[in-house]
Amino acid sequence: MTMTYIDKTTRPGGTLRRRMARLTTDLWLPAAVVVLTLAVASVRPQILDAGNIAAVLKSFSVMAVMVLGLTWVIAAGKIDVSFMQVAALANMLCAWSLAQGWGWGAAIGAALAAGLVVGVVNGLLVSAMRLPALIVTISTAGICASIAAALGKGTVIRIEAPGPLAPLLDPVLGGAVPPVVVPVLLIAALAWFVQERLAMGRYIYAMAQNEAAVRSVGVPVVGLGVLLFALSGVSAAAAGVLLAEHLASGQPMIGGPYLINGLTVVLLGGMMVRVGKPNILGTLTATLFIGVLFSGTALLGLPDYQRQIIQGALLLIGLAVATLAARHHGAGGHADGA
Amino acid sequence: MSRLNDHFRGAARVLGFVALVLGVGAVFALIEPRFLSHASLNGIARHMAANGLAALGLTFVVIVRKFDLSIAGIAAFAAMSMGALIAAGLPLWAAIMGGLALGAVLGAVSGIAISYFELPDIVTTIAVGSICGGLAFLYTGGRSIFQNFFQSGITDLNDARLLGLGVSLWILLAVYAAAWFVMSRTRTGMAFYATGENPIAAHFSGIATRRFVALAYVLCALCTVLAVLLILAESGNAETNKGANLMMPAYAGVFLGAAVMGGTSVVATFGGILLITMLLDGFALMGVPYYYSDGVVSLILLGGVIAFSDSLREWITGLGLLRPRAARKSENRA
Repeated sequence: MTMTYIDKTTRPGGTLRRRMARLTTDLWLPAAVVVLTLAVASVRPQILDAGNIAAVLKSFSVMAVMVLGLTWVIAAGKIDVSFMQVAALANMLCAWSLAQGWGWGAAIGAALAAGLVVGVVNGLLVSAMRLPALIVTISTAGICASIAAALGKGTVIRIEAPGPLAPLLDPVLGGAVPPVVVPVLLIAALAWFVQERLAMGRYIYAMAQNEAAVRSVGVPVVGLGVLLFALSGVSAAAAGVLLAEHLASGQPMIGGPYLINGLTVVLLGGMMVRVGKPNILGTLTATLFIGVLFSGTALLGLPDYQRQIIQGALLLIGLAVATLAARHHGAGGHADGA
Repeated sequence: MSRLNDHFRGAARVLGFVALVLGVGAVFALIEPRFLSHASLNGIARHMAANGLAALGLTFVVIVRKFDLSIAGIAAFAAMSMGALIAAGLPLWAAIMGGLALGAVLGAVSGIAISYFELPDIVTTIAVGSICGGLAFLYTGGRSIFQNFFQSGITDLNDARLLGLGVSLWILLAVYAAAWFVMSRTRTGMAFYATGENPIAAHFSGIATRRFVALAYVLCALCTVLAVLLILAESGNAETNKGANLMMPAYAGVFLGAAVMGGTSVVATFGGILLITMLLDGFALMGVPYYYSDGVVSLILLGGVIAFSDSLREWITGLGLLRPRAARKSENRA
């Protein structure tokens, strides 16, 4: 709801109770990250080792880049289930181009261009032709996965020479912080500005409420839809490029697990700051939370499938809370606004 | 008069579909003569039985205008559960009943969460699917289950024949016939369609819309369990990745059928899944690598949905001059 936002600017007073509620919705997820970290650290102090922090921040960066665009697609009331296969395609395309003897620049360009093309195709089919977003993106995901596998004939392509992004992944500051975190946070800050301060951000959330109404007040809904899917494609492709550098290889099957991870992050994040609305700050915090959770379960020696169950349950609980909260906020918001 | 027109149009669509299936069959038979061999046709019938059951389940969910992405996860969990029951020495029917009961519970979880608690369908089913995918590892930690499989008689579902056709095909036909009867000849079927078309209107017409949405998910899970049962019967063991290849063909079958036939229905899904299975088996026979199959199915699905979409039709008729003549022609024909 935009109501909470209006509250802050037009009624700076507000009761203590409301300010506490506000603080709770803003800070519960960061608090959960801290609590989880401390809980794991009390049993396995290794989680705070420099090497482990660096690993968590690296996977945080890849994941955050991958779902930045997805956050807005879901915020606009659409769905994109092709992002993880776009990342896999970009990852393989990067490795394949290098194996063909292209330079890193050309390889990265090709990977990002592929992401852009898939995103624009998704956007045109969903926004201009008004086909169901799930069917369109499920199909493009299948096509991307097939092309990714075909590029390496079903196997991994190794990358021999480290590329220009390698220093970004090399931890500094006592080996705890990979520099890639800085550009990722800068891009996220820019996205947060666009989402909170520019008209485009308003339109995204308005689209989720009533697309016909937004269209009839003169917002170019089709163009905006194409832009959102294109951004999702490009950001997923950028994550694929980072993965190529990080893993020094193209992995055709890398996409699969990211589907549930990406959706969990976006929806869990959607319960922070703006309850029931996916947003950039929430996505970043939730990405960090999932990163700590993965690292923690790995350190505690839980097998992969148990983590999968925990994560699915988390997503389900998150959804339930977000849906119930959105219903309450919805009712309260209208009363406030009137 | 308009009823007659509708009948004509319906018949024309069915004929078009039959022509498409025959055309695809003819092309494959020309490129690869083995396509029409006994073994190949048997294979198509078997694969169609499994794919068709999964697609039928999805049809119910799509008719109430929802999606289900938990098919793969539920299939994996049900496969391992039925495998574990068989390995524990239970008779086959008990294992199947156990699998169906599990499927009903899992479908009810998604269905109730989506209908009564109004959670978003896509993400809820992804979450339930993920949990099920993890639970599938509980029995053996991911190892294959094969004990007692041959003694239990489960492979008969794949090998035995009745009146010249495989048992699995009879199961498929029986389930489809029952589904067709309920969906197009009873009040219950109409209620499903009404819930999908306009839930508010359906609600005020005295239809318990939430119950039908939940029921659609239960039916989908039950069909998924039957589908994976046939896959277990074919392979003679249970593994956690059984059913991973059920979802894409199911989606393609439902939406391709709906696109060609002009609406989601049991008959449309049957046609769609027949076409998809022919294409998949045909390509496999021609030696197309496995990793292309998902891409091919996706491409066909996307192509079908685009080719039969409203906006493309509007765009083509919007091209101008063609429209009046085409309209007159169709009037003359009618």
